[in-house]
Amino acid sequence: MHKATFEQRPKRVALFVTCMVDMLYPGVGIAACELLEKNDIEVIFPEEQTCCGQPAFNAGYRDEARKLARRFLSIFGPLVESGEVDAIVSPSGSCVTMTSHFFEAIFEESQETELSHQAERLASVTFELTEFLVDVLGLVSTGAQLQGKATYHPCCHLYRELGVDEQPRKLLDGVEGLEVVDLPHGDDCCGFGGLFAIKNSGISAAMGRAKARYAEQSGADAIALCDVSCMTHINGILSREGVSCRAHHIAEILNNHLGSTLRPPSQPAPAQADHPRRWGE
Amino acid sequence: MQVDIHAPYKDRVQQALGDPNLRVAVSKATDRMSNARRASMDAIEGQQLRSQVRKMKEHVLSNWPDYLEQLESNLTRNGCTVHWAEGVEDAQAIVKDVALQNSANLVVKSKSMATEEIHLNHALEEAGLRVVETDLGEYIIQLADEPPSHIVAPVIHKRLEEIAEVFQDKLDMPPTREPTKMTSLARAKLRQEFFAAGMGVSGCNFAIAETGTICIVTNEGNGRMVSSMPRVYVVVMGIEKLVPTVEDAYLQLQALCRSATGQQLTVYCSMTSGPRQEGDVDGPEQVHVVLLDNGRSRMLARGYGEALLCIRCGACLNACPVYQEIGGHAYGGTYNGPIGAVTSPALAPEIAQFKELPHATSLCGACREACPVKIDLPRLLLDLRSDLVQQGASPKPEAWGIKSYASLMSSRRMYENLGKMASIGSNLYAGMSGGNIKLLPPPLNGWTAYRDFAPFAPKSFRDWWRDRKKLRRQA
Amino acid sequence: MSVRNTVLARLRETLRQPHLPFPPAQSEPLTHAERMTVTHAPGDIWAQAQRFALELHAVKGSCELLETVTEARLSVVSRLQLWLEEEQAARKTVDAERPEDWEVLCWPLDQLQIEGLPLILKEVGFKLIEPTDLHDPQQRDHIRNVRAGITTVEAAFASTGSFVVGGRGANARAASLTPFRHLVVIPFSRLFATGEDWLAEMRHAGKLDAYVRDSRNLSIITGPSKSADLEGNLTMGVHGPKVVHAILFDDLQH
Repeated sequence: MHKATFEQRPKRVALFVTCMVDMLYPGVGIAACELLEKNDIEVIFPEEQTCCGQPAFNAGYRDEARKLARRFLSIFGPLVESGEVDAIVSPSGSCVTMTSHFFEAIFEESQETELSHQAERLASVTFELTEFLVDVLGLVSTGAQLQGKATYHPCCHLYRELGVDEQPRKLLDGVEGLEVVDLPHGDDCCGFGGLFAIKNSGISAAMGRAKARYAEQSGADAIALCDVSCMTHINGILSREGVSCRAHHIAEILNNHLGSTLRPPSQPAPAQADHPRRWGE
Repeated sequence: MQVDIHAPYKDRVQQALGDPNLRVAVSKATDRMSNARRASMDAIEGQQLRSQVRKMKEHVLSNWPDYLEQLESNLTRNGCTVHWAEGVEDAQAIVKDVALQNSANLVVKSKSMATEEIHLNHALEEAGLRVVETDLGEYIIQLADEPPSHIVAPVIHKRLEEIAEVFQDKLDMPPTREPTKMTSLARAKLRQEFFAAGMGVSGCNFAIAETGTICIVTNEGNGRMVSSMPRVYVVVMGIEKLVPTVEDAYLQLQALCRSATGQQLTVYCSMTSGPRQEGDVDGPEQVHVVLLDNGRSRMLARGYGEALLCIRCGACLNACPVYQEIGGHAYGGTYNGPIGAVTSPALAPEIAQFKELPHATSLCGACREACPVKIDLPRLLLDLRSDLVQQGASPKPEAWGIKSYASLMSSRRMYENLGKMASIGSNLYAGMSGGNIKLLPPPLNGWTAYRDFAPFAPKSFRDWWRDRKKLRRQA
Repeated sequence: MSVRNTVLARLRETLRQPHLPFPPAQSEPLTHAERMTVTHAPGDIWAQAQRFALELHAVKGSCELLETVTEARLSVVSRLQLWLEEEQAARKTVDAERPEDWEVLCWPLDQLQIEGLPLILKEVGFKLIEPTDLHDPQQRDHIRNVRAGITTVEAAFASTGSFVVGGRGANARAASLTPFRHLVVIPFSRLFATGEDWLAEMRHAGKLDAYVRDSRNLSIITGPSKSADLEGNLTMGVHGPKVVHAILFDDLQH
């Protein structure tokens, strides 16, 4: 996929926060927003945004997916086309894959050429958060500090569809005090897969348990990743299986949301007003 | 517990997940093969090889009928008999007739997916013939009365002690778990069969159109045996297994071997261009080639032609985390793993006959990364899901659910109200069960059967955003 | 309409559809110029011979590299003698010597590229079996228990340790297939850096097409027969030879 190169450093971006982050993990959205602002990027949050339609697309309901895709394009398209924002940034590899790969395809399929072209143009300025921080802003570190041992799980859409892998690893390496260990069989899928987790819950969970075993083997206290959907699945498994480590969205690590030390989840976390929830507390 | 391939999908999956031996055997073997593949592709210009084989195969399929005619005319010129089969029944009948006409009572076979597709063994046995599979793995599963569970490693699902049990049971082998002893026994038994057989049957890894040459690839040498020892040699090949030239064949051979087992070349690549000629010491007196459609042309017409690029290396199975958990039998068709999840429904008269398979994947893309011809398997699986929906083959509650979701998400107001309701409800519920939700109503009970679920946030991101905006305005 | 014509017509009709997602409308063949050589074996003929040995060794075959045909001749004899001893030692019961121990299934000796080989083999006591028709039950039965086979090659490829045997005329396919041990004689003149090089030479000479066709059977062999079907345990000699030994010699000196 063609990605735009910026002659000048972008000034303003639209945050595509994703519905899951909005409703389930606001802390991740806040972290993403603050990470961008700290780097002198003005963030706009188009409040009309809801869901990109991936669940419908994933389940095979293309008409429903197109309905939401049209809506997405009507919200973000004018912002980009008018030059009001330079880029669209999202803390989710999976949702970026939907908007920047599959939108184009589903409008091609329905022979809505205009929309398919619009999707393609938007795709060239749509970035996953770490991709934007590293590739566009040239960051090597966000200045975060965290004591403890973490590992990185490359979520499938991010890793295989977007080809983003070095970027989050680089930023993680740049966290002061954090020891980043290898995750055995790291690039194996965690088993989430959207509707797959419900329709084939037995297989999905077996894959999740394999991920949990490897996470345990790695000796890490935390698994960093770039998608809250996979995070929900992995944490659901870790919690049910009684494994002590937890998955965290990388934005929260990079923006110092986890306190100063990765603690074993058995110790309760201090309440934080602004970042109201954590897993399993 | 063994997987009953005739059981409904859900039962097959349960049986597979319930078999601890299966996971150990399958994941050990698939890891080994995947690592070997990666190392072997990294040792060369692997990406270039993949692109070139894909290009070559794309060209073949663009000119498919022409290449088929070229192959046919060259095979005929070389003295082979060419038969065309539309599907299972006529293919079975052709092979059966050849056997009966030649009074071949014993048939030796080299592992072949095309003959699995047409259930050839069963048909020949019904006609009173004895059929012996000669690939070691295939021989074992034939003794155990099971279908293959992997394209290149048919007995991948069994552990050594399980195989030893089969040999003790069926071949009166004295108790041993010594692989070399078991292999010697199989060699001795099968050697008798090779010398006695009246007919050999194999599939075809690829056929060279310009020369009329059938290529089969094995490590054990059984492919050479079945194509050399009996008087009659029958090849059953899917009509897509074509390459234009000898050089193309050599290129694809290397892509196949590296992707399947990580070998530079398999031990044997046996290339048959026709029956023995006057003065030849050995080789079959008759060579029959059955060109089998069995849904392939339908697959192209349905839009799944890309899967016809498949060279049957099994790399996608080895790379697939789903296959690792459930093995091959749970897929319930001739082909399994990611390529099977596409091929089984796409080849079938009705896609909906295999309506579960396109959903038996997390769409992680590891298969596409491993595929030597870069088939976009996740995309094809998504297309199949869409076709199933269009045909009305998806469950009604699901269709209703997705439509409602799409409507809710089409309105910011409804979306925000839904968020608030879910937050209040899930927090109340979670509060009662100690922070995490352990049980959700159907269909979400699929989630909580194996995983906990955390409640929605009390305050959404957009709440924070608005609060902040308000605060800033006040300041 | 015949099945043939139905299938072909259906394919043609489908390929004419304008919105068929696959295959792409414009699809060029892979040309000879662009087709890659997958593996490489640089260096002179000796470097290539050494590479061949290395690759064959890696797939559990064995190999010797010799400077002259005289050495090759002696090596063939001593290798067969060594195998004979191994066979006899491996046999648990020390029964009377079996005559088939001395039998060697082979291609006509004038094909073996080593002058004087038949004579010396016969002198040492080996009996060379050169079948003429293996569908003849008697001849077929005769080769059943022969433990060693000798062949030469059509070509050998250094970069993969492979060799090609053809089953034409009196060259029995069985000689490289049914015995337990296969001795393969490879003169340097038949050693190529890669399979691609061999094919290119044949293509350039305008012989490839007819050669492949007329050979009726060509086998590319890379090492001894093996299987990993028993839960990944590597076992050798499943159907074909368990032992493959190559004798390479320099026939390019004069």
